[in-house]
Amino acid sequence: MSAPRVDYFYSFRSPYSYLSGPRGFALADDFEIELHFRGVIPMMMRGESVPVAKRLHTMRDVKREADRLGMPFGRIHDPLGDGATRCLAVSEYAIDQGRAREFVLAAGLGIWGEATDPATDDGLRRICDAAGLGWDGCKAALSNQAIADRVEANTNELVDIGHWGVPVFVYEGEQFWGQDRIDDLALVLSDAGLARR
Amino acid sequence: MSKLRDRAEREIGPRVIVAASTITAPARAVATARRATGRSGRLELYFGFDDPASAFAVIDLEQRLQGRKVIFDLLPVVERGIKDDPALERKRIYGVTDGRRLGRRIGLTLSRSEPIDPQQTAFLADWVAAAPRGAALTRFCAAACRRLWFESDGPIEAERYEELWRECFGSAPVADEAAVRANEEQMASRGPYETPAASIGGRWFFAQDRSAQIADWLDELGWTVKR
Repeated sequence: MSAPRVDYFYSFRSPYSYLSGPRGFALADDFEIELHFRGVIPMMMRGESVPVAKRLHTMRDVKREADRLGMPFGRIHDPLGDGATRCLAVSEYAIDQGRAREFVLAAGLGIWGEATDPATDDGLRRICDAAGLGWDGCKAALSNQAIADRVEANTNELVDIGHWGVPVFVYEGEQFWGQDRIDDLALVLSDAGLARR
Repeated sequence: MSKLRDRAEREIGPRVIVAASTITAPARAVATARRATGRSGRLELYFGFDDPASAFAVIDLEQRLQGRKVIFDLLPVVERGIKDDPALERKRIYGVTDGRRLGRRIGLTLSRSEPIDPQQTAFLADWVAAAPRGAALTRFCAAACRRLWFESDGPIEAERYEELWRECFGSAPVADEAAVRANEEQMASRGPYETPAASIGGRWFFAQDRSAQIADWLDELGWTVKR
């Protein structure tokens, strides 16, 4: 019997997704689950607007949270557009290579803590190197239609389950929205007897 | 877009915002001056009675402010949120699920399984906005939030809340709808777009998720717990 599935919807353009990364992936270390990373297209590239007040508050709030969590934040390169799209494509390739965690964490750090521009080959390659992924495979993923279709399917599924933002974790139909809800999900997984001994 | 403008939007702007947010000296100086002149600190909370996250924040912050020389300025709103938000209804439904988790954190069990229509609790906002700030108002708001979200289900009867008001104030409530509209306008003009939003010393926090950080910021400003 396979382990219960937890879907992890994530956007490379969301600083809250970045904050969720280390603890989100660690769920699979702590619990008998299959964690499925699901990269989605950023809200603003899906035609949804983000008010200025929300953007300002997010930057300030994430800085405080990043400090609390001991994560670098502040040397930023907003990846909206090609940067986000290219990270999404490589993240699917990284899943196939068994290195999703390494890539997603490296990309988050690059974008939000080191001002790396993944829209350039130089920037993306640095992230791929840090994740232990070969550049040729990553580069090929950028123009792979099957991979682009998987990203589209992830994004559509987030919309289909009725959710609007990221990060979102879904366990047995229950949604946990936000990096602030990882502990709540862990509690539910514990209650379900899934903690690794 | 020019390269310079692109860089300004993607890198320089966000960096400046983040760097500016770490400057605390002015807020600490203002807090010190307030204490030196015998005044209290002030925590403003924009909240909605129809919102389980707000109920959690009111109850939780009431506890966390005990022993601190800080006025809890409760500012009820009814209309708020991102303009034309397509996810508004989904957020309200999700809010109930999330409220259950928040309640669990403070040992309370959510008693409702459906969202409350904001208009059903608008009368409470009208009363609270008209009342003077102080211990009686804080007591009423915390008790009303408990009753609404953790002790009752079904229709909301104004008479029951009027009894609670009389217990706290010793008189009947007065409604001031215009004061609620003023709170809503003030909230929108100051930046926060959702409830519960707390402001202390120039910083905004979404109060349901940042209780500990609010307490830390109060400590940093010198509004520490005095036993």
